[in-house]
Amino acid sequence: MTRWAMIADLRRCVGCQTCTAACKHTNATPPEVQWRRVLDMEVGEYPEVQRVFVPVGCMHCADPPCMHVCPSTATKQRADGIVTIDYDLCIGCAYCAVACPYQARYKTDKPSFAYGDGPIQSEAARFDDGRIGVATKCTFCSDRVDAGLEKGLTPGIDPEASPACVNSCIAKALHFGDVEDPASNVSQLLAENQYFRMHEELGTDPGFYYLWDKKPEKAA
Amino acid sequence: MSFGPNPWQQLHWDERAAANFMLGGTGAGLLVAWAVSSTVTPDWQGYLLAGMACIALGLGAVWLEIGRKLRAIHVFFHPQTSWMTREAMVAVILFGFGIAALGSGLRALGIAAALVALGFVYCQGRILRASKGIPAWREPTVTAFIVTTGLAEGGGAFLAASALVGGTQLPGLAFFALAAVARVLAWSRYRARLEHGLSKRALDTLNPAGRILVQLGTIVPLVLLLAGLALPEFARTAGIFAGLAALSAGWYLKFMLVTRAAFNQGFALPKLPVRGSR
Amino acid sequence: MKNLSTVKVVEHPAKTPDAGTRKLATYCYQCVAGPDLLTVQVNGQGVATEVEPNFAAEPVHPGGGKVCVKAYGLVQKLYNPNRVRSPMKRTNPRKGRDEDPGFVPISWDEALDTVAKKLLEIRAKGLLDESGYPRVATSFGGGGTPQSYMGSFPAFLSAWGPMDMGFGSGQGVKCYHSEHLYGEFWHRGFTVSADTPYCNYNISCGANIEASGGVAGVWRHANARERGIKRVQVEPHLSVTGACSAEWVPIKPKTDPAFLFALIHVMLHEHPRERLDVDFLKRHTSSPYLVGPNGYYLRDRTTKKPLIWDAKNECAVPFDTPDIDPALEGSFDAESIEIGPDDQTLSDGDLVGEPAFSKLVAHMRPYSPEWASGICDVKADTMRRIANEYLDAAQVGATVEVDGRRLRYRPVAVTLGKTVTNGWGGYESCWARTMLAALVGALETVGGTLGTTVRLNRPLNERHKSVRKGPDGFMAYPLNPTDKEHWSAQPNIRNAYRTMVPLAGDGPWSQALGPTHFSWMFLEQTPKGLPRVTLPEVWFLYRTNPAISFWDTDGISDKMARFPFVVAFAYTRDETNHFADILLPDAVDLESLQLIRIGGSKFIEQFWEHEGFALRQPVVAPAVNARDFTDIATELAARSGLLEKYNAAINKGVVGIALKGEADGESWDFSLDTTLVHSRETIWDAVCRAASAELTGGKETHGLGWWKENGLRTRPFPRVDWYLQPTLEDMGLRFELPYQERLYRVGRELEERLHEHDMRWWDTQLAEYQTLPAWKDFPKLWEDEVGRMGGRADDYPFWLLTARSMQYAWGGNVGMQMIKEVADNIAGHQGVILNTQAAEAHGIADGDMVEIATPKASVRAKAVLRQGIRPDTLLLLGQFAHWATPYAKDFGMPSMNKLVPMSMALTDATGSGADLVRVSLKKVG
Repeated sequence: MTRWAMIADLRRCVGCQTCTAACKHTNATPPEVQWRRVLDMEVGEYPEVQRVFVPVGCMHCADPPCMHVCPSTATKQRADGIVTIDYDLCIGCAYCAVACPYQARYKTDKPSFAYGDGPIQSEAARFDDGRIGVATKCTFCSDRVDAGLEKGLTPGIDPEASPACVNSCIAKALHFGDVEDPASNVSQLLAENQYFRMHEELGTDPGFYYLWDKKPEKAA
Repeated sequence: MSFGPNPWQQLHWDERAAANFMLGGTGAGLLVAWAVSSTVTPDWQGYLLAGMACIALGLGAVWLEIGRKLRAIHVFFHPQTSWMTREAMVAVILFGFGIAALGSGLRALGIAAALVALGFVYCQGRILRASKGIPAWREPTVTAFIVTTGLAEGGGAFLAASALVGGTQLPGLAFFALAAVARVLAWSRYRARLEHGLSKRALDTLNPAGRILVQLGTIVPLVLLLAGLALPEFARTAGIFAGLAALSAGWYLKFMLVTRAAFNQGFALPKLPVRGSR
Repeated sequence: MKNLSTVKVVEHPAKTPDAGTRKLATYCYQCVAGPDLLTVQVNGQGVATEVEPNFAAEPVHPGGGKVCVKAYGLVQKLYNPNRVRSPMKRTNPRKGRDEDPGFVPISWDEALDTVAKKLLEIRAKGLLDESGYPRVATSFGGGGTPQSYMGSFPAFLSAWGPMDMGFGSGQGVKCYHSEHLYGEFWHRGFTVSADTPYCNYNISCGANIEASGGVAGVWRHANARERGIKRVQVEPHLSVTGACSAEWVPIKPKTDPAFLFALIHVMLHEHPRERLDVDFLKRHTSSPYLVGPNGYYLRDRTTKKPLIWDAKNECAVPFDTPDIDPALEGSFDAESIEIGPDDQTLSDGDLVGEPAFSKLVAHMRPYSPEWASGICDVKADTMRRIANEYLDAAQVGATVEVDGRRLRYRPVAVTLGKTVTNGWGGYESCWARTMLAALVGALETVGGTLGTTVRLNRPLNERHKSVRKGPDGFMAYPLNPTDKEHWSAQPNIRNAYRTMVPLAGDGPWSQALGPTHFSWMFLEQTPKGLPRVTLPEVWFLYRTNPAISFWDTDGISDKMARFPFVVAFAYTRDETNHFADILLPDAVDLESLQLIRIGGSKFIEQFWEHEGFALRQPVVAPAVNARDFTDIATELAARSGLLEKYNAAINKGVVGIALKGEADGESWDFSLDTTLVHSRETIWDAVCRAASAELTGGKETHGLGWWKENGLRTRPFPRVDWYLQPTLEDMGLRFELPYQERLYRVGRELEERLHEHDMRWWDTQLAEYQTLPAWKDFPKLWEDEVGRMGGRADDYPFWLLTARSMQYAWGGNVGMQMIKEVADNIAGHQGVILNTQAAEAHGIADGDMVEIATPKASVRAKAVLRQGIRPDTLLLLGQFAHWATPYAKDFGMPSMNKLVPMSMALTDATGSGADLVRVSLKKVG
């Protein structure tokens, strides 16, 4: 069994938004739609304050509330854990968007472009009417994952098979791989480090892990 | 759009979605209120029609909100888990019974429609409860509140309408009073459960509407009802105002709940990263 | 897991590349931390759609081959509808911010002829004007980034002759100015970095490396964090770098020298000497040089060499005497002479001298952590702990082998940021930082504090080759002359760097590293002794926007309006080219062609283990009627009669590599015929061939086609060349620390020269030439400026600072929607950051509009309340406040630049100022 998952190493992330930009490039999302973005959070009060950069997006939950509420079955889950949206089925009710505890879903009701009403050439080349009026979100770049697998590549290791955000990360804070495979890159990271998942108490079993420290070394 | 990390008001569902909860709940409540009083209500078709019209208007408002209007039929595709699908299906059954009742003149079919309406408003309560992204909605006791406020609003509408067109019968009064009391109890329980799970801004938004619900939507109507019972010449006016007060207080609260107090929970860090050595 | 089903994701056009899609390799050098090596996806219709890292570069690139967020803006940059779409000329002769320039499109021929006509007129009149200043001036953007985009234009500049490149747009004032000058003087460190991959403890005073260090900086520091480095970030606000550090010390602005002095005090006065690298101090620094009664070295009468007290033989000997044990402390008698400024013998005979180190110890005695605490608003215990941690982490005595050579292993570094390294206090901070490294032997060795590149010494980019023997056992440095015979009151350009700033040197970069605001200031009133500063008759602009990026931007704009003829290479309209006469749209990043050097050790954190070249190639046809910079340069050269000189300059290597060369017995010559007009392809094909030959010792001569296909090529660069210690050791040279006898002498000579010409307006600055820098009340200088502006200091209780935005810094990308969109995810891009508690005390809530004012000017901004900033500090990120640049002019985001006065009193001896100003704050609206 495979479950694709993402890891964000909060120790490494610097909030540069390169992943945000790379995602926008690869997925041709319109202005203000950020399937991947990085939050700039503060915890504590001056002078005892920490500032933390937190990549967020669809957590590809094992038990995704968005899928359960979806009235059209547009939101589905693949055997490998990736939560998908069928743009041809979606009615754009946005129920999934309010069901998602991670604010990962977007709906754009009309075409929008970087500069005014019309597309620039790069936008025109990739404009997709099918995405208007429906829910969209991070796909874990499933098309890259699938194409890579067909070529015998390993997602999370080979750039061609990996999500754009992971490929782009200049701090090597983002990792992608199969958490069901104990030998995978992500399984090893989870074995070596302490981590949490966002809003774990909601029981959604997110496929997105945040590393925050090494595991304490065991006494010899 | 704001991007957190602090909670912010969801913007996906606006006044149109709120209208469905307002009109749908009231319509369902109206049908139930009529059904309770059906034996003493001669012009039942009007109420049935009005209740169905409310629900239809509410659903119409939602239809205006969805992004792909021509695909609205897809809403029926997921009855296994989606309360929105279930709401739509229940609405179809409800309209089926209702139209059959109107067409056939069989009051029993209307009563069946009213029973289904209870299911409809329950679905609405579950729709909110299944919205895990919004702490104010996902609180399980929201369902009881949505159901009871629908009944109180519908009871209020029925009370006001029946007062307007003729006399108000005891079953209608009793239903209204019970629904109003049930609602305020459901609200209190729901509000108490929210105390620790909701952002301050959401609570600050909800609290004034809650006070209105208690005072204008419950105490004032019940006092008016008592006054109407004590002073029969005042009963008609009291009934109209009591009903409308309960109705509008419910509407206001649901409007606020959907469009102003629907803060998501933002993002939280149970642990802070260790940057380099400690 | 539940509810699993197999679903195929629906294909859609945005993710379905067409058959003709291809990826082309290129580079991005938007910022000083470049280049990033990337590929651009172009679809079958020739439309660029996506940027991706060039994964083939991963093995050689110090940032994992990744690409910074700014490069992702390049596609929008290409298709931005607000581009200048063809050459334009001004039709409204009146210039002013409120005047519509009335630009109308013209042909390239008309544009180039118009410019050439002006140039020919000037050549006929003479290149210098009546004041002796060049009639033609140029201003380019900061950090040398324009050079990676201007193709062969440097050959045109070279062919022209004297030009004034000293009209600043930020450089010299808003750069790491003291670091550039003193860093290069002390250790060939035009910029200075931690040896991050090996460093374990980094004290970072405001160095915002995560925002300004580019991909390599972020990558290397993230690795270091995971490895367990402790970085202590000392700064008034919690920057992104502070966020990613182990500790934040919220210091009061401009008090960093006091903080650093306290650390030195702890190391010198609270620990045994053997905790320091005594061997390094004795053998590799000037610590043992004996200082005489007048503050100059005691010298051997015959050789004039500085003397050292040899403890082994108990006598004074010249510094380079072998087999001695230099004394670091004490007081010694020596038969000697003491030579002061202008070769004056100040004393002669049996003189008492103290080693420079003794002087240092005494000098630092008052600067205890308790003393500094009251100045910096940092607890004494914190400073003492940091000093102790630094000392512990230094591992004095440890060594490590690099490329077969045993080097000191000193994994501690001190890095400094902007506003710490420029303006008053910059010298003191840089000296203290370099001393902290020297005391433990961590200067220029593994894990320590390193210089990265050279810009003032020649050859450019070649740190090690630039090390030559100078006086007194130190490296040579091209100080501008201060002796009577060679110093001149006639500057070569308007900012008078050669006259006023000896440390600026006189190389190609020196003009931009002088007091570049003087060119603007002196237009109003030229101070006594200098020829009247004149307007340049022609001003070329490229990748620069001083009307936004400099001090006192309103004043600058008014002056620009008086420039008679301005030629702007223009991407979009902006606040500076608003005053232009001719706009020339150059082909932008993805449309044009150039080969640049990569690798080695370079700005910021660019420490490679490879070196070579990378090509920027046109991945698409120009989206507007723009021309490649090389073609423009060639045309200008041809039309202004400079073709032969221009081609000769290219042949000589002015564009990056000489076209003729030899190595390993092979020789090559791809020189261009100097009499012909060559296309850009011909020019760069020759450059590519020369580059291939250089990399392979003449074995391969791949041309442009090969480079277009492959994008880059490198060869190994030895890691040992990251470090200067071995080179100095091999050459028998010492680091000129701690004592600044040479600079002190230069300062006194300069004082003499200026006073001989009755020039006394630089006297305050001359006081900065000290043998050992002393603390002065630096914050007070800015408080006093309030009075000079006509206000009362108490009414302006806040410090206004700025910080780099990683998404924008140097990028010239304020017009990119996507950059704005993603940058807004980081706090401070939409308003002024202020401390939450301080804001509440002023009745200011998050999102309120506030007014930030000096006695002379004010700006308005949305309040962004944060905990990570001192209560007495405000922060305006980046440099915005655009009023002409399309898209950016709608941001509603102010800049501190309008508020910072351009002031002689705030100019330090190197000619730089700092990005801070005292302001008031109030809620409005």
